[in-house]
Amino acid sequence: MRLLTLLLSLVAIGFSCFAQPTDWDSLRQQAKGQTVYFNAWGGDPAVNSYLDWVAGEMKQHYGVTLKVVRLADAADAVKRIQSEDSAGRKDNGSVDLLWVNGENFHTLKQAGLLKDGWAWELPNWRYVDQKKPVREDFSQPTDGAEAPWGSAQLMLIGNAQTGVKFPRSAPELLAFAKAHPGKLSYPRPPDFTGTAFIEQLLIVLTREPQALRLPPDPATFKQVTAPLWDYLDQLHPLLWRGGKTFPPTPARMDRMLADGELLMSVTFNPAHVDNLIDRKQLPHTARAFGFAQGMLGNVHFVTIPANARAQAGAQVVANFLMSPQAQIRKANPAIWGDTTILDSATLPAPLGEQLNAQKPAHLQAVPYLPEPHAAWVNALEKEWLQRYGAK
Amino acid sequence: MSLRFLAWFAVGCVFAPLLPGLLMMAKPALMPEIWQALWADNQWSGALLATLNSTVISVAGSLVLCLVLFCGLWPGARWRRYAAQLPLLLALPHVAFASGFLFLFADNGWLTRLCGISFHLDEYGMGLGILLALKESWFLLWIASTQLNYQTLSQQLTVARSLGYGPLQCRIRVLVPSLLPRLKWALLAVVAYSLSVVDVSIILGPNNPPTLAVLAWQWLNDADPQRVAMGMLTSLLLVGLLGCFIVLGWILWRVFRRAVGRFSGQRHLLNIQPLASSLGLVMTATCIAALAMLVIWSMAEGWFYPAILPDGWAFSGWQAAELSPLGTTLLLALASSFTGLLVIILWLEGGNPRFDLWLALPLFLPALPLVAGQYRMLLILQQDGGWPGVIWSHLLWVVPYMLLVARPAWQQIDPRLVITARTFGWSSWKIVCLVKLPLLARPLLAALAVGFSVSIAQYLPTLYAGAGRFTTVTTQTVALSSGGDPQQQAIQALLQMLLPFIMFIITLQVGRLLGRFRQGLR
Repeated sequence: MRLLTLLLSLVAIGFSCFAQPTDWDSLRQQAKGQTVYFNAWGGDPAVNSYLDWVAGEMKQHYGVTLKVVRLADAADAVKRIQSEDSAGRKDNGSVDLLWVNGENFHTLKQAGLLKDGWAWELPNWRYVDQKKPVREDFSQPTDGAEAPWGSAQLMLIGNAQTGVKFPRSAPELLAFAKAHPGKLSYPRPPDFTGTAFIEQLLIVLTREPQALRLPPDPATFKQVTAPLWDYLDQLHPLLWRGGKTFPPTPARMDRMLADGELLMSVTFNPAHVDNLIDRKQLPHTARAFGFAQGMLGNVHFVTIPANARAQAGAQVVANFLMSPQAQIRKANPAIWGDTTILDSATLPAPLGEQLNAQKPAHLQAVPYLPEPHAAWVNALEKEWLQRYGAK
Repeated sequence: MSLRFLAWFAVGCVFAPLLPGLLMMAKPALMPEIWQALWADNQWSGALLATLNSTVISVAGSLVLCLVLFCGLWPGARWRRYAAQLPLLLALPHVAFASGFLFLFADNGWLTRLCGISFHLDEYGMGLGILLALKESWFLLWIASTQLNYQTLSQQLTVARSLGYGPLQCRIRVLVPSLLPRLKWALLAVVAYSLSVVDVSIILGPNNPPTLAVLAWQWLNDADPQRVAMGMLTSLLLVGLLGCFIVLGWILWRVFRRAVGRFSGQRHLLNIQPLASSLGLVMTATCIAALAMLVIWSMAEGWFYPAILPDGWAFSGWQAAELSPLGTTLLLALASSFTGLLVIILWLEGGNPRFDLWLALPLFLPALPLVAGQYRMLLILQQDGGWPGVIWSHLLWVVPYMLLVARPAWQQIDPRLVITARTFGWSSWKIVCLVKLPLLARPLLAALAVGFSVSIAQYLPTLYAGAGRFTTVTTQTVALSSGGDPQQQAIQALLQMLLPFIMFIITLQVGRLLGRFRQGLR
């Protein structure tokens, strides 16, 4: 029996170029009855209820039991995968599918803890918008080790009713802070969104943008980042509580904006404003906006650890997450409002229009700026903490 | 099988993983480059200041509150009324109380909305310290109420009164000297908890920089091995800080003993009963107000600053809330508190009290390195992500707390009763079951309730040993506290509160029921 399986799999590998549908069918067969532990950040009720829906669909149509493990921070799961590996657990791992951002992906990929080359084989890959950076994550090639799930762009949120003119560039932001002292802030790095805000400023301020495509070089780091620190030194005294302390998360800033304590919040989800308005957390006059030059954008992914127990099930789930049906629902601001990674032009007729109809209403779109190399995150966080991490 | 063997076996099962945990922590201390990195990190001094501040406020505040209430109210009807509230106040989980406290006192909190008073709770760890002082004073009072021998002390008080000493004077001379040594263990636990608390600091503490414990926790979660080592070293330094507090406490105790021993013969008629009554009232009122905040937020629909009341009321938040974590939490807490009860009974009978300090170590050490050690062990044994593993990981904290509550009462068993039982030729087992356990029903019930609520409060062990698969109300609350939805946070905090409340009420009622049938327990 084992020999037969071996022969069959050899044949399957040999004919993989022609036999994709069969491959996929056997994967689906394999997945039936498996339990997939999907580790995802659980801080947002909208995301949680969307994942509950996904779990129901997986059970009903694919016979896969999806258990969502809600994390306060994706780094917890990364740490767990690392610990399992160093304890010698090469299979039967506790994480089957993981929602990652660039830095955590970078860490796991470098350590060889991810399953490679599966994402581009998924049937729904053909709908994916290749104009977005779906084959690289923070300037690092993904090698098919992660499947795109949604895309995100750093945006600022403001309330148009307060009668202020939104700043559309870094100098305008500084002028805005001078006009409204104590009413601006940003999440304290190493919060993901806070670091992204710093990166955004670095991208628009630095005189050497090419240096950001490569890992930071200790020799030129100071020179590349000097305009950023000059800018922040001017900005911080004008911030909320004199820049001596910072809000812990962007979600907390949303609340402070709603309470009128701040005039601006930041988000990594362009449709977040629509979602907040729907949930009555912000008034209808709230808008998402960005710098005219563009805002930092990226794609977020799901990945499968090399030691995952239910690898077939995890791939079936990842494929479902990329499906037009799941993406349309996810893009609906009333449900989650996460920007799709599919190209609506490649979809069959009604689906493409349905997807287009989900575009956020309260958004002033701006161009995508590519993210710096993943190693910049750590370097910038370290330097930021050294400079401003203690009042 | 001999009792002694069983006791050591049970305790060994619970505490064996402490060793890898301690070894892991000690390693970075031998690496000079980690010390250097720590020295170069500029968050460190601010974090140390915040930690020292919050810990001093917490420990001194809780002790002062405890002594004022005790000296003002004990003994009498007022004390009995106040003591009856204690289990409920104590059963309130830290995270839930902190959430309510924040809604009440934060920059945009209810008090600011009501009368415009606003203060920055997070600065220098003040808010954290005050919250812990309140919360831990109830813990100290509860311990005091279970440990004091009413008969002897009330006789001594009467003697002191008959000598003409005033009410406060008698209590300082009679009550405090016999109370403080009994609070020794509880005070140590308060210091250790205040030094190493992570979840409450995230909610109420400063964040630029955070407290040392949170900093260590962030570093331990970092992917960079050097940061992890810095986290270990910082955890170790927390232990060093604890040592400093112990020495300081010992010196203060000596000073107090000397001062109390000096009699000038002067009589002061000062009575602090009105002060104590009103203080007790304010404390309880704060607690009730914090709870009311949680209840109001859980049903609020659109509530923005500076509105004093929500725009509308709705149950939609409750309908959307998940209830399955409640079941998981209940099962985990029941299993670990009853297992813990068995372990401590075995240990109290068969173990050596000299080693109690070693068993209490988990309370004095930052939880994270211990959790990491436990988790490594579970991985090797392939037991992570299962019920036995999670229950076992909780026991490391459940058992010491239960022991802390039960040990002094066990020590106080009248040896003559045991000797009498021996003369009947009873075996040790029989003496335990027929003499000691019935005598100690109340302290043991108290221990059970404490163990139960300790298990519920566990965040890191549940997350690690459970491989993230066990969603309890606590992991849920902490996961939501990183978000910005006060409504869901309030709902989860209320759910987190529900279970220990029910447990404390049950143990209290069972204790009363037993008291009805046995005169000596009343």
